[in-house]
Amino acid sequence: MTAQAFQTALARLIVEPEFRDAVRAGGSAALPGELTPREAWRLATIAGDRGLDMNRTLHKGFRLGKLRALLPLTCAALTPARLAREVAQFWRANPPASFSFLPEALEFCAFLERRGLRSVYLAEVLAFERATLELERARVGAPPPQSVRFRHDPVSLLGALAEGRRPRSVRARPCLLLGSKDADAPTRWTLVDAVSR
Amino acid sequence: MQPLPRLGVGLAYQAPLAPLIEAAGDELDYVEIVPDILWTDLGRRAEPRHIDDTAGRAALEQASCGRPLVAHGIGLSIGSAGDFDLAHVDQIERWRRRLGFDWHSDHLAFHLAEHGGELMNVGITLPLPRDRESIDLLVPRIREVQQRVPVPFLLENNVYYFDIPACEMDEATFLNTLCRESGCGLVLDLHNVYTNARNHGFDAADLLAEIELEHVGEIHVAGGMELDGFYLDAHSDTIADPVWALLEWTLPRCPNIGGVTFELFGSWFDGVGSERLTRDLRRLRRVWTQATRRARLRREPSAETV
Repeated sequence: MTAQAFQTALARLIVEPEFRDAVRAGGSAALPGELTPREAWRLATIAGDRGLDMNRTLHKGFRLGKLRALLPLTCAALTPARLAREVAQFWRANPPASFSFLPEALEFCAFLERRGLRSVYLAEVLAFERATLELERARVGAPPPQSVRFRHDPVSLLGALAEGRRPRSVRARPCLLLGSKDADAPTRWTLVDAVSR
Repeated sequence: MQPLPRLGVGLAYQAPLAPLIEAAGDELDYVEIVPDILWTDLGRRAEPRHIDDTAGRAALEQASCGRPLVAHGIGLSIGSAGDFDLAHVDQIERWRRRLGFDWHSDHLAFHLAEHGGELMNVGITLPLPRDRESIDLLVPRIREVQQRVPVPFLLENNVYYFDIPACEMDEATFLNTLCRESGCGLVLDLHNVYTNARNHGFDAADLLAEIELEHVGEIHVAGGMELDGFYLDAHSDTIADPVWALLEWTLPRCPNIGGVTFELFGSWFDGVGSERLTRDLRRLRRVWTQATRRARLRREPSAETV
């Protein structure tokens, strides 16, 4: 049982910087009580090891890499500084649970939606990438079709982000993108312009 | 260790490397895959838990061009002190039956830990204390894996950027003891050895001289990069020069070796370039051939002197 507590504390030293800092400052006293004296001493020593910081860097790189791989347009739509802030908050609230990329990316989408960030294009880009992931997520049977409402021209908006450009003054174009996917076939998107009355 | 077929030179599969694998011809004898990419694990409470990636399987089978496959997993977390995920082991066995792995392996480490009633996945391999307690945890698990997946099972020596202080055993004693007591083989990752030696200031050759090389079933080689004063096992380049030297010393001394596998992350493929990678594969072939010849000479001296 104490070996389990040791591994949990070791993992937390990497994942939770506040916990690491508390152990650095307070030594064994900041660690859970169920550890043996040797385990507590080992953890207090590791907390001050520079190699632990390298592990944290690699851990963050792994988690960020998942988001950048599956949500490239959303990451591009946020500025680098804002992305760093949002990711840090997201990680604080969501400990890493899976190797899989997709569940973490979907959780990040839900997190950003709840945050209700004020950004001209972000909500549309986020909705599009979330719908794409829903179509691609592993499941039994065909995925339900997805519908994404745009206020701006999706071709210009998504195209600019895909090319690494910040979208500016994208023209208004109220429309829907309808997505569907059959078995192993690629995702199909259809653009339907809103009818003005 | 159960005997392994002698396959030769392998490459760790990553989708962007498919053109290199397809073009490699006789330079490449086998393909090593991370079996975990062939399915999505929806979590222990999900039903069904695992969803097969049929498109990924088709791409892999096309890229491997009929070459033998071996599996190198990332999801076992065999060193986790909490429960051991036998459903994951069974999933490896299901895919072994489909793809016919000649052997399979994973990492001598842990990445899953319980926290607040949930599993936390750190996403990187964390070191185990080299203590008797770890051996006692690992041996029955290895035997369970051997029983459920009836091909040789190997564990890879870990890369570590911090070490657990005051371990009861040094690394060679720990690896030797584990292999002797469990019957598992070793994936001797020479780039991990080099990375650890460089970051922790010991001589890689001293460690290799202490490892009982009859346990080695597979060797991994790779290249890395420096970051913030550390040398990283980044799989980001061609094989590092000091790793070649370690390979040339080690390989002829491994009587039960099945293959040498080159690891490169797919995201570095364009930067490194297929020409340099092909050169490394050819050099690996030469080293393999020479080592095999020297090993045969050692076993049957008269055959070559007649």
